[in-house]
Amino acid sequence: MNARRAVRRFLPMVLVACGGQAAGPAASNDLLVIGYDREPDTLNRFSTHILEDIESCVVEGLVTTDERMNVVPLLATEVPTLENGGVRLRPDGGMDVVWRLRPGIRWHDGVPFTSADVKFTVDAINDPTYNPESTDGFDRIASVDTPDSLTAVVHYKEVYAPYALQFARGTLPKHVLQGRDIDRATDYNRNPLGTGPYRVAEWKTGEYILLERVPHYWRGDEFPKIRRLLFRFVANTNTRINQLKSGEVHVVALVPWDKAREVERVAGVTIHRMPGNSYEHVTLNERHFPAFADVRVRRALAHAIDRELIARTVLDGLAPVTHGPIQQMSWAYTDSIRRYDFAPDRARSLLDSAGWRDANGDGVRDRGGQPFTFTLLTQAAFAIRENVAQTLQRQLRDVGIDARIQLVDGTAISQLWFEGKFDAMLHWWHMGADPELTLFFAADRTPPAGRNINYLADDSLTKMLYASDRTVDATRRRALLVSAQRRIAELAPEIPLYSVTRLDATPATLVNFKGNPTNTGIFWNVHEWEIVPRGR
Amino acid sequence: MLPYIGRRVAQAIPLLVLLSVLVFALIHAVPGGPLAMYLENPNVRPQDIERLRHALGLDRPLVEQYAAWLRGFVAGDWGYSFADGRAVTARVAERLPATLQLLGGSIVVAIAAAVPLGVVTAARRGGAVDRVATAASAAGISIPVFWLGLVLQLVFAVALGWLPSSGRSTFGAGGVLDVARHLVLPATVLAAVYAAAWSRYLRASVGDALAQRYVVAALGRGVPSRVVLWRHALRNALGPFVAVVCLDAAIMVSGAVVTESVFAWPGIGSLFTESLARRDYTVLMALLMLSATAVIVLNLVADVVHRALDPRVGT
Repeated sequence: MNARRAVRRFLPMVLVACGGQAAGPAASNDLLVIGYDREPDTLNRFSTHILEDIESCVVEGLVTTDERMNVVPLLATEVPTLENGGVRLRPDGGMDVVWRLRPGIRWHDGVPFTSADVKFTVDAINDPTYNPESTDGFDRIASVDTPDSLTAVVHYKEVYAPYALQFARGTLPKHVLQGRDIDRATDYNRNPLGTGPYRVAEWKTGEYILLERVPHYWRGDEFPKIRRLLFRFVANTNTRINQLKSGEVHVVALVPWDKAREVERVAGVTIHRMPGNSYEHVTLNERHFPAFADVRVRRALAHAIDRELIARTVLDGLAPVTHGPIQQMSWAYTDSIRRYDFAPDRARSLLDSAGWRDANGDGVRDRGGQPFTFTLLTQAAFAIRENVAQTLQRQLRDVGIDARIQLVDGTAISQLWFEGKFDAMLHWWHMGADPELTLFFAADRTPPAGRNINYLADDSLTKMLYASDRTVDATRRRALLVSAQRRIAELAPEIPLYSVTRLDATPATLVNFKGNPTNTGIFWNVHEWEIVPRGR
Repeated sequence: MLPYIGRRVAQAIPLLVLLSVLVFALIHAVPGGPLAMYLENPNVRPQDIERLRHALGLDRPLVEQYAAWLRGFVAGDWGYSFADGRAVTARVAERLPATLQLLGGSIVVAIAAAVPLGVVTAARRGGAVDRVATAASAAGISIPVFWLGLVLQLVFAVALGWLPSSGRSTFGAGGVLDVARHLVLPATVLAAVYAAAWSRYLRASVGDALAQRYVVAALGRGVPSRVVLWRHALRNALGPFVAVVCLDAAIMVSGAVVTESVFAWPGIGSLFTESLARRDYTVLMALLMLSATAVIVLNLVADVVHRALDPRVGT
């Protein structure tokens, strides 16, 4: 066969092959495809970090957090409180929490889920041979009693205010993991046994994880509505958006803000905006850059920054300006705190009074011959953050402060803040559902003991924060946290910029999508998600 | 030939050891470590980090860590991934076929484009084809891989819907055709630079061959010019060309890192990107040692092939 004949013969075949429909099938109750930004390291909720989207479809906690960040019961019949007798403060300073489990729940292999699993989970996490990501809270538990198969009484050595979230990540199945090295239990870690609406059907490394519905989910045979969920790993953001456009994926979680307008234009796709629980801010490291130890200087910086302008322009109106570390949807939020409006003249006079004047006329303030020059550390390859950093730099320049931007990759930046090696840093914290602030602002919680990387040391604030950690009564705890927020605003240890809005793209035909501002992820109510084609 | 190959392999071993020391020192010098990203979670406390550091042996002196790594590596125990706790050998082995497939596809595409282009432009220097090809190869060499990848996705997947935008297979589908359709775009993107470079190389070496006296003599004997070009000149130019292809094939792995990330191709390139972001030292070491070995081996292959094709190249 000569070349020309070969081309004549094969070209039509190639064209037919290429002309086949490339875009995948539309989202349906048979299959929903999620474009996911990374492959999970493990599906063990206690060993992984940050996002538990896939895990939460399989493994259920005793409670979960809903779209308003309320703690709601899941495998427990109710959330224990002082009022309902589920929480008892002991005279010795400790406390007991009584978890009553929903009857009739079975693990996917048919074995009943009982209080023995709760006890096993606590023991496993406190066992030094297992290395979970965090032992927070578990290490304050002295023991767990199981008076009957549906009751677990957790004895804490001390009062622990965020007790309600202790088992939000779920429990480990005793009958599968007892006596095993959980770190190396690959069968469980890659295909965890749960009680949730889905189970792992296939994990194709580097490509996808397929979940399929379990028969007889405890909420009723009508749940979940969607038969299969396919999480495709697509690390590159642009590629993920292209896949959404071509219909190869149906859901993209955490759409980057600079892609929001592009995604809004894709036919058949809805963008859900959800106020987030994180806040972007500038941390001022008083230890590394002593000029920040003067409250007048910190307040001057806060007044020098036009946050409304940043929100309107760089952030394209997607994220609201914030004034403190606790965000609006939290039950502990207050807006009656001191605010720092954009007032460059006020900033200038504060800096003058602190002794920072431009003596040599070069446009940068100085004191004792030292110019007010500091390094603003932020994450590289994060377009919005780089733009915000440049805006801050220009606005600070207007009041005579010289900020130099340093861009570093995400992993390196974690190390730098942990070691306190920076002057100022533009970043956000992923805040937990519980409004604890102690870790971030108590005087003795500087690294390595915590995340007070402002190196703020204020006695009255520290006392309030620790008191709030030891208060279980919600009203009294809120009062303490409100006082703490006011004190933080007075001290201005950091400059809050904006609340981080969460954007998720789903098919317009998806109903019952509720979203979630916490690490729980958007799949917490996946059992009720349903595709309802229009016109039906 | 065999003693020569033996000598080259013996030379390669100290080189690889030296390289491993350098690479080990370098990746540990970069700030951050396998545990740094855990710090993003507020529930992870410093005592958790210390506990994990100790459990993973990251608190031991660097020299001790290196010695332990080298002992294991030589014995075939490449350690466990810091990311998912699985054996590094397993993680690399499951990703390798996808990369070999991508590299194979790209080399085929690049050669298929470079050979005819190189020969035709050498024969008709300054002609219309030559000028268009010159411009195209300048573009091929200078266009960034990630950009070309995204544009091809927009055209062929989003706008035309002819090809899948990324991934290696369609879920629920299967077969050779499905894999081939997924391979088209990434292989084209990865091949673009090499097709351009190799066609320029071949253009120059065929051009040199055409200027030789035996070509004039062949033409004088009445051999048709097409035969002279494709049989005589090309064959003489082929030795160095094959050597260049072998050398570049090893370097192609670095291009695969970007291409695989853009196309969500589940090979060792995307594994490298993921491992770099979270400083998964054991996986990084394995991948870097593998690619260093590949470069050394393909260098050797290039030499051997060159010798076989051209007896004038001496020892």
